[in-house]
Amino acid sequence: MSELIYLYGIIPHQKEEQPFSDLIGIDGEHVLHTINFDQCATVICRVEEKNYGEKVLEEKTKDMEWVKDKAFHHHETLIKLRERTTIIPMKFCTIYQSENSLEDMVSTYAGDWVQLLDNLKGKEEWNLKIYCDRPSLREKVAEHDLTIKEKKEEIESMSKGKQYLQRKKLDQLVDEQVEKELNSFSKSFHDKLSTYCDQDVVKKTWNKDVTGKDEEMCWNSAFLLPLDQVEGFLEEVTTANNEHQHAGWKFEVTGPWPAYHFVNLSKSEV
Amino acid sequence: MAIEQSTQSNSIVDVLETVLDKGVVIAGDIRVGIADVELLTIKIRLIVASVDKAKEIGMDWWETDPFLSSKAAEQNTKELEKENEQLSKRLEQLEKNMSHNSRY
Repeated sequence: MSELIYLYGIIPHQKEEQPFSDLIGIDGEHVLHTINFDQCATVICRVEEKNYGEKVLEEKTKDMEWVKDKAFHHHETLIKLRERTTIIPMKFCTIYQSENSLEDMVSTYAGDWVQLLDNLKGKEEWNLKIYCDRPSLREKVAEHDLTIKEKKEEIESMSKGKQYLQRKKLDQLVDEQVEKELNSFSKSFHDKLSTYCDQDVVKKTWNKDVTGKDEEMCWNSAFLLPLDQVEGFLEEVTTANNEHQHAGWKFEVTGPWPAYHFVNLSKSEV
Repeated sequence: MAIEQSTQSNSIVDVLETVLDKGVVIAGDIRVGIADVELLTIKIRLIVASVDKAKEIGMDWWETDPFLSSKAAEQNTKELEKENEQLSKRLEQLEKNMSHNSRY
């Protein structure tokens, strides 16, 4: 039965064969190893075509349990590799037919890989998620926001009929102010953190169905930090948690991650 | 402190949103179409939630299910009796405290 090549990532050119054989591959049988090329090397594991061919994968990726297990394997393996070397992480399930076609890909992108590896050297990716307690923030805005206060006073002086309509509008205005407050607060914290980083990216926020949390996610971003900046970065987060906890804010930072968010190619093939 | 460093604590959302959505997007020879990350995460979270639930109950749940085991039923009754006793004691204590307080 023929074998395919599952690619985890690209690492710098190796003088000697890298000992990754203690890491078990995605199929639970083959071990990881490197294939060296002129300017960089690939970390791969072999997989059976009967288990990882296109048709089989099409079926398997519909099986949530399978996707969960394998996605976690991919992630955990890259975390371990990242601890040992600078690595450009591949997206889940990047698979090649043969060493030849892997080599074709590597030679096409070799310039990009070298540049990326150089840029990622000595840096770590950290992710930030900010959660808030929207109802309590809304209460605060409704009571203390100046725009809202003025509007309230204006309504008081109106006729009863007008008041009804204006009160409805006021609710809308409160919601808008809350949204503004959430965004500006989160953004200013993100901006503060970005003084520590080399690159940053703001991501999509997820709703409660996705996060499974009680609090609402109001900010989601990633940072690429030089190693000597990590401590200061983390201290900012701890301080922010202590300062704003009582107001219902929660800052959650995770890492170090492989630099998933900072490996865009200049000539992507998608 | 909400700083998490171990891989174990990375949530499903964290992992899926990066592994499935980010990383170098480069065409391999095998094309894999993975459904919408949002939908996928919700579905997977539900699976995990039910697994956690199962663990919470214990893997030997069938042994302690009163419909499946008479031994369990017996144990269940004992536990209920014990709980009943404890509750009665607490109630008694509370009533005592109340009458004590009402004197002031």
